[in-house]
Amino acid sequence: MSEREGEREMLLDVPVEPPVEMFLPIPRRFLEDAYRNDDYIVLVGPQHPGSGHMRIILRIKGDIIVEAIPDPGYVHRSMEKLAENRLYIQNIPLMERPAIMDTGNVTLGYVRAIEQALGIEVPERAKYIRTVLAELSRIGTHLYDAGILAVFLGHTTGFMWPFALREPVIEAMTRISGTRITSSFIIPGGIRRDVPWETLEFVRRVTYVLERRLKGFEKIFIKNPSVIARLKDVGVLSKQEAIKFGVVGPFLRASGVEYDVRRVEPYEAYDSLNWDVPVADEGDSYSRFLVRVEEIFQSLSIIRQAINELRSIPEGNVISPDVLDGYEEASSDIRGYFYRVFGNLVLPYGEYTSLTEASRGTLLYSIISDGESNVPYRVRVVTPGWYYLKGFMESLRGERLADLQAIYGSFGYFPPEADR
Amino acid sequence: MSDNIEFLNSGPLAPFKKWGTKWSLWPVHLVTACCGVELAHAYASGYDGERLGSLNYGISRQTNLIIVEGAISRKMARVLRITYEQMPDPKFVIVMGACGLKGGIFWNGYHMVRPSDVVPVDLFIPGCPPTPESLLRAIRSLQEKIMSGEAKNTIEFREFDLSSVEGRSCPALPPTTPKVIAPTPAIKVDVEREVEWSFGKKLVKRFEKELEGLYDSIKITGKNRIAISTDRKRVVKIAQILSAEFDHVKNVNVIDVPHERSFIVEYHISSYSVRELMPVVVNIFAKIPRDDPKFPSLMTYWQSADYLEREMYDFFGVVFEGNPAMGEKFLLAPDTPDFPLRKDRKIRDECYCMEVKE
Repeated sequence: MSEREGEREMLLDVPVEPPVEMFLPIPRRFLEDAYRNDDYIVLVGPQHPGSGHMRIILRIKGDIIVEAIPDPGYVHRSMEKLAENRLYIQNIPLMERPAIMDTGNVTLGYVRAIEQALGIEVPERAKYIRTVLAELSRIGTHLYDAGILAVFLGHTTGFMWPFALREPVIEAMTRISGTRITSSFIIPGGIRRDVPWETLEFVRRVTYVLERRLKGFEKIFIKNPSVIARLKDVGVLSKQEAIKFGVVGPFLRASGVEYDVRRVEPYEAYDSLNWDVPVADEGDSYSRFLVRVEEIFQSLSIIRQAINELRSIPEGNVISPDVLDGYEEASSDIRGYFYRVFGNLVLPYGEYTSLTEASRGTLLYSIISDGESNVPYRVRVVTPGWYYLKGFMESLRGERLADLQAIYGSFGYFPPEADR
Repeated sequence: MSDNIEFLNSGPLAPFKKWGTKWSLWPVHLVTACCGVELAHAYASGYDGERLGSLNYGISRQTNLIIVEGAISRKMARVLRITYEQMPDPKFVIVMGACGLKGGIFWNGYHMVRPSDVVPVDLFIPGCPPTPESLLRAIRSLQEKIMSGEAKNTIEFREFDLSSVEGRSCPALPPTTPKVIAPTPAIKVDVEREVEWSFGKKLVKRFEKELEGLYDSIKITGKNRIAISTDRKRVVKIAQILSAEFDHVKNVNVIDVPHERSFIVEYHISSYSVRELMPVVVNIFAKIPRDDPKFPSLMTYWQSADYLEREMYDFFGVVFEGNPAMGEKFLLAPDTPDFPLRKDRKIRDECYCMEVKE
């Protein structure tokens, strides 16, 4: 017996060498500890069926997850450094790239930080069109996440439905902005072009199409017993935990905290429209999913109200005169005005922080300007995915290994967004 | 063995093998970046990529196609190579998006790699992101390549002879860069602003009383924004007092000011549990010397600061003392140059040049 013990001690040194070649960001003592306690270390990813890549290093006892360590950064594209080397206006497409399906919200955050610095008041019509665009993006992103959740659960029909539902949303975005996904339509002071009435009418009709088809999706996926069985009571985050780990957005609201930046610090047209903040108390994977489904319906209602309001606002004025600075030919000078107006944009000295409710949660932009250069001194972006990564990892603790996919999907974790 | 392979590829059965490969191009799930959005559309009900015999599949060992969706980071390049090596022959690579082609919008990033340096590429699809139609066209084009053995451009652009174009009297000069960068700017994060915010004024009064002797200044920097200036010795005490109401960290930020030989470390904190404090973002910041970049970690008071602090260590090398994971790379690949966001780590600048034809 004692000989075997001795053997074991000797063996300890062999397998616990952290494989540095594999970029494993885990300390040696973690491996040793797991080995002594007869736990398994399981690496999930980076190549896995989700959208975007990250690795989760799991320590498993039996099939219960004891600890989860994230290894993000597979999609880190050095956005903050690049932003320091480009003009303010060139950063709009750059800042869109963290989550291109959420284009309306991510660009809105950056643009609002600039507007806050320059003290620009956006024309009423632009405000409403921005709201429509932001909410279309929100619907698109929630549907995208529902599709990815279905992929994680191995539910192929559940993947096909939301992506079919996304098509009309993308069609609406195309008619508004001219491109399917990366529109960069929101600019400091307003929007690129005015949206004609027929397009808005089309968007309004799209909301009814979506509402009708979502009923079908509800039958086939949302209320599907097998989906409920996979998601219910899995990955629970209590209210205290969600607050402690700084979870954001629909995932925070699913844990019972009524926090929505659109309500707390209203921007654009949100305070003049009538909508609810869906909140759930359970904090499990299913309520995280349901909150987002409910948000889709709220967004549809917001879009309809905004388009109704747009009826009474005359067309034409969609860019603030403050930003045009007396350049009256802007509307006819399509090629030249953009560079003339925005090429030499300089923000006044100081720090400007804007909070935006992107689809997956709070999005923070902090621009530090030196008041002399026409490039930002520093741009700090914290995306929702990066905020709730900690909560996501903590919610895995104590769950079964087989539920990992369900929890991953329920958070809609999108690595390109989290890693920036 | 090699005889068998030779026989398969050029024997009487070769056309059947080619035909089989052509209609069973299965891409592995390697959604490397944002172009994955359009890839998903190409395989969903709208565009139905499956009708071309192409189906996304999770495991690399049973697939024969990689669709690289956009940007490849240093960390991902290794994964891409490993996945490629795992796949059985014959295997193909399609690179989607401008980032995969020449770097696209991220061409001068410190964490970027071109996929063509990592794996042999059969086809490129330009676009940011390319539409599902163009992805399907690339798959059709790959099928043709399998049958014929050579890759062709799907679009041939007409060439114009620019030398005969009239209207330009003098040789054009390359445009100068529009960027203006001040060499030694003054950086101040708490510029005071006049706003109508009576609650904020009350809050500042309250902070002044609660944090007596712990701060240098408390200023309102905008609607719902307060900045508290302090130093790294006293910041822990401030965190202890404020963490009673401000329950989470919104942002941990470091600003590098090399000409003043200092870093500015900022913590943006806010509250989820107190309703009237929800919109308020308080910025606690301190200057630390650049040659001794140490700051106490506030993780004990705010768990949510953990990953943000680790990220800032990655970017700037500021050591947050007390955070157990300091000294390890978190977001960046191990072979990335250290602390890439410091101002003295330059990235390549864009240059404007013109091709002069003789």
